[in-house]
Amino acid sequence: MKLLRFLFRFAAIGLCAGAVLPAQSEWEYSLVSIEVTSKVYDAFQPWNDPTRAVRKHGLVIGPGEVLTTAQNLPTHTLVRLQKGGRGRWYDARVTWWDAQSNLALLTADSPAFWEGLQAASLAEAVSRGPDFELIRWRDGNLEERRVEFGQFTVGEGVLGFAPHVQMEVAADLSGLGWAEPIVREGRVLGLTTHSNGRVCGVLPAAFIRRVLAAHRAGTFTGLGYFDFTWQAGGNPELLKELGLEGPSRGGVVNRAGHVTDPEKAPQPRDIILAVDGFEVDSEGDYLDPDFGHLVLENLANRAHFAGDTVKLRLRRGAEERTIDYVVPKARFTDELVPREVFGTPPVYLVTGGLVFQPLTQPFLRGWGDEWRKYAPFRLQYYQYADAHDHRDSLVVLTGVLPDAINLGYQDADLSVLDRVNGRSIATLTDLAEALKTASPEGVHRFEFMRGHNLQRLLLDAATLDEATRRVVEHYGLPAAARF
Amino acid sequence: MKYLFGHAAGVETPSAVRARGWAMWLGALVLLGCAWGVTLRAEEAPPEQAVVQILTSSQVPDFASPWRFEPVMRSSGTGFVIAGRRILTNAHVIAWAKQILVRRYQDPRLLTARVVFAGHDCDLAVLELEEPAQLADVKPLQFGELPPVQSTVVTCGYPAGGDQMSFTRGVVSRIEVQPYAHAGNRALLAVQTDAAINPGNSGGPVFQGDKVVGVAFQGIPGLQNAGFFIPPEIVEHFLKDIADGHYDGFPQAGVTLEPLQNPAYRRVLGLVDDGRGARVDSLRFGGPAAQVLRPDDVLLQAGGYPVGSDGMIPYQSNRVAVGVAFQQPQAGEALRLSVFREGRTLEVDIKMEAYAGDRLAGRQYDEPPRYFIYAGLIFTPLSANYLETFGDPGRDYLWKGLAELTYQLYHLDTEAPGAVRPEPVVLSGILPHAVNADFALRGRVLVNRINGVRIERLEDVRRALLENHGARHLIEFNTPEHGMLEALDRAAASAAHAEILRIYGIVSDQRL
Repeated sequence: MKLLRFLFRFAAIGLCAGAVLPAQSEWEYSLVSIEVTSKVYDAFQPWNDPTRAVRKHGLVIGPGEVLTTAQNLPTHTLVRLQKGGRGRWYDARVTWWDAQSNLALLTADSPAFWEGLQAASLAEAVSRGPDFELIRWRDGNLEERRVEFGQFTVGEGVLGFAPHVQMEVAADLSGLGWAEPIVREGRVLGLTTHSNGRVCGVLPAAFIRRVLAAHRAGTFTGLGYFDFTWQAGGNPELLKELGLEGPSRGGVVNRAGHVTDPEKAPQPRDIILAVDGFEVDSEGDYLDPDFGHLVLENLANRAHFAGDTVKLRLRRGAEERTIDYVVPKARFTDELVPREVFGTPPVYLVTGGLVFQPLTQPFLRGWGDEWRKYAPFRLQYYQYADAHDHRDSLVVLTGVLPDAINLGYQDADLSVLDRVNGRSIATLTDLAEALKTASPEGVHRFEFMRGHNLQRLLLDAATLDEATRRVVEHYGLPAAARF
Repeated sequence: MKYLFGHAAGVETPSAVRARGWAMWLGALVLLGCAWGVTLRAEEAPPEQAVVQILTSSQVPDFASPWRFEPVMRSSGTGFVIAGRRILTNAHVIAWAKQILVRRYQDPRLLTARVVFAGHDCDLAVLELEEPAQLADVKPLQFGELPPVQSTVVTCGYPAGGDQMSFTRGVVSRIEVQPYAHAGNRALLAVQTDAAINPGNSGGPVFQGDKVVGVAFQGIPGLQNAGFFIPPEIVEHFLKDIADGHYDGFPQAGVTLEPLQNPAYRRVLGLVDDGRGARVDSLRFGGPAAQVLRPDDVLLQAGGYPVGSDGMIPYQSNRVAVGVAFQQPQAGEALRLSVFREGRTLEVDIKMEAYAGDRLAGRQYDEPPRYFIYAGLIFTPLSANYLETFGDPGRDYLWKGLAELTYQLYHLDTEAPGAVRPEPVVLSGILPHAVNADFALRGRVLVNRINGVRIERLEDVRRALLENHGARHLIEFNTPEHGMLEALDRAAASAAHAEILRIYGIVSDQRL
């Protein structure tokens, strides 16, 4: 009750603060530091759970509510908040996070934390600069630095692949991307998400407001995306070939999405003329009333969320038609090689010293920052492939813990499983099931996808469980499997 | 990654290298080499009289703009006179040569030579002087046997760092199958030595006594005191191959063997744990081995060599990969195998063949790339040489198009042999002109179909475009997005074709 009374009091303060905007010097009452300790995935020893701690920023945006980016939070073990850039750290809880929108909300249970804090205001209108301020805590002091507006663009988020509007700013600062707010005239224009040289990516306030409003209303179904691919309709000869005369315009669909019904989804060689009422130009862009020319992908989330219906006006052969396209939800699990795995600790299965894991992009990132150069090409290529033989996920042999039972297989790793004991393998659960029944010869038969160096290996079935126990003990594994 | 000694020296003439401050370091080796020398009987001519310096002016084509060549590059290597007044050297010393000059030992003259045979798979080449009589007074060198490990060898050649012949001495460190960097997709027997082998040594003889026991050819960056030479059996295989006037190349069986050391696997296949036999893991579709072998056959003997469970054979006091046995026959000859299958031992013969199916996946030399240009669109075969135009061999596969081309070239044949195109074709680039300026694609993409014709080889491109009588050409590309499209107005394209060639100074629109 005491906490509730305090929060009520805070709410009054917050509302008041929202009505009277904080002066620039008052950002210290809204901007807080966040310390996140999170688990780090060890690609080659997934049973290890090393942690790392990072510091980032958060904004008080309402009673008991701190807004930040979702980065580093999905695998957190401890989150703490600090106000004023110095002094005591307060335990905090993550009340909500969403990877695709890269947003998270935190709270702290200690009333003392909220004392003296006031809510910042997220700007409603879109501002194009030319100059903004970036605010951050640095060595216990509030730093306010000028940044230049670059452009609005549409791209995948840092954590997810759903396209949404983003802002680029240029700054002569290093070490940005830790949810530092970009502000102007007392209002927050966005939160930084990443930086590359001078260019810094920012989640615009308008996007944040929309997602938060839906979340609070209980209507946020997640971000969506267009699952078909298209190319700009800038070649008039191609448009003529497809039946469209006149000026270049639209986007030519070159690959259908998951829905094959032509009445519900665009088909290859359709020309997308308008999306949600916005005409598509020859670059594949539309004119956004808030952000200017943006690529049409943004219309999946501009006024919609996953599961909503978007009207697509198409040219299909000789006729024009409008279809109702249901925006699919952006889910990592829909990818053959998921680019992120959140929500569960890394899963693995060790049997007879053979270490199996799902093939994921986090595993490929185990080759370091330049993993796209150095991770095995064949494993990387699965990212670009369609679901394989109706499998929607893959299991890869990621290592061998040497033991008598796997003698001769020490170098047999980095191959994707095809079948075990004759059973098609898509998940570790499939693998565990397949291992319940050995072949009549008394062995377990592992077969790998064509194209890998090794096509198959056998393990003795009678001694497998004993060998697995031996491996678990010998190599200090907490368990032979984690699902 | 291995590097080559010789052609890789590029334009670095000895004087250029000296200018970079290497002179003192390599100079010391020269002095030591002279002191070591080669042991000779007093009445014999010193064998170095048969060792020549080869000065090559070469010009490599630009595989992305295939009608064009890179600037002329000068490089130097070494060779030596063999029987028949011929000179043996490395293929990489004379690859893409426009002019080959030979300088004899302590002879001021530059003698003009030509390539008679080049085996790029084994990195060997045979040259002849335009006037072979100029070698009449040279006693050809004789080949010896494979030198034993730990025995002493002496290299002889013209490495960077000076103009005179250089000798270095070392021991045979080990003998095993190594990738041959020149072709990029072949591995043959090679000898490692700690004798200094440097740029310019390539093609030079490695002596033991007065016999040649190898041809210096490559090293590995980062490894100190490790150079490699081609052993006598590879040289002899090459020389025997060309004896009929045609070079076939080293044969391949199309079989992947795996060690068979796991007790459970041996038990299932009916073998005791006696260290014998390697397992057939996979077979190349349509290859000679696929005619007589099956997966999980156990290879007990190959060409008379007992095959161990580690996939190795004993070979002249060494233990080398069983592939050495498969490389000994000439193309067309049979190799006798002893195979254990389902409890029985069988004797089977494989008729070995020189496999050319992976030609595009290895580096090609001496034949300029094929191409066809139409209305500014540059079509050329997908090849390893073409992919190398993308730069850094450790490539960033963020770009999906590159990933698709890599997969097509290196993986599709083993995973989906039925989908392989004999000569995949790429749109390499576009020569900008009003007729093609609206293309969203600018090249570097696989061509799937043109006007409905699936493109299996470059000739299909020409046929599909020139035999189309419709209003437009429709070109479908095979990208990860599965089918970007572009179209050209046929009449406008035909009308612009000659003008585009003129604007860009292209003499011929095709090399087919």
